[in-house]
Amino acid sequence: MKSNIAVMGDPDTVTGFMLGGIKEGYPVRNMEEADQTLEKLIKTDISIIIITEKIGDELRTNIDKLTKERTLPMIIEIPDKNGSIERESEPLNKLIKRVIGVEMIK
Amino acid sequence: MAQEMIEGINPTRMELLKLKQREKLAIKGHSLLKEKRNALIMEFFNILERVKGSRENVSEKLKDAYKDLTASQIIMGDLAVKKAAMSVKESVNVDIESRSIMGVVVPVMDYDVQQRNIVERGYGFMDTSVKLDEAAKEFEESLALIIELAEVEKTIILLASEIESTKRRVNALEHIIIPRIKNTVKYIEMRLEEMDRENFVRLKMIKKTLEMEA
Repeated sequence: MKSNIAVMGDPDTVTGFMLGGIKEGYPVRNMEEADQTLEKLIKTDISIIIITEKIGDELRTNIDKLTKERTLPMIIEIPDKNGSIERESEPLNKLIKRVIGVEMIK
Repeated sequence: MAQEMIEGINPTRMELLKLKQREKLAIKGHSLLKEKRNALIMEFFNILERVKGSRENVSEKLKDAYKDLTASQIIMGDLAVKKAAMSVKESVNVDIESRSIMGVVVPVMDYDVQQRNIVERGYGFMDTSVKLDEAAKEFEESLALIIELAEVEKTIILLASEIESTKRRVNALEHIIIPRIKNTVKYIEMRLEEMDRENFVRLKMIKKTLEMEA
């Protein structure tokens, strides 16, 4: 299966990834815009969506629902230019802890 | 808990046979599911080895990339960088296939991020700075890491939810369904024995009265 990658985030992040060779860039300025763009992107045949951690945190419930429902698209969160935000616990670590019962990766 | 059993069962031999069948099936299913769970957890640990550190790698790489990007924005101006970014040709090529781990379909990505030299990227040299080239290179490199991370994380999420549901089923069988069937079997056996004894006594009594009359 052939697939596309899209990137959504603040304008600088999007510019950076477009430099890296991604054609689908969606700069968003606020969270409502991000939410709408994400909804739109899900419906297309894009299979990997790169978003910034900030957006990921804001739209956590939405994203969790989407990732649980289907395999594609994959949504991956990356830090933006201000570096990764400090979180109490990574969503992934929380999941692993729930499944195995102990903390596995630090 | 110990006395819990299936409601509305008649203590007959038919039901006893049926229940014994069900018990056998439940035990078989339980051991199969347990094996599945163990295999999934082993697979899960293998994947965890891969995810270790790969998030840090991505962050590190991106930090460098953003630094170069900001530098080029300072040198060339925001708009010029955007313009150059618009004209960059597509570089990533991802094929997503799927693999099945114990019935869980996980994605396997076959990706190919071209490491291009400056001529191939597609922007002009007249108004671009060397920092832009570096930023583009850094972003290309981080893309490969990000795609790999996406694959691993998705696999972990899928496996985790499968492990959770398998675990729940194993526990339900082990702690509720099997004991319940066992209790019911015991109850029916006891009732049948009791009925046997009752019958025996009744026969004795009848025999006695018949002898008395004779």
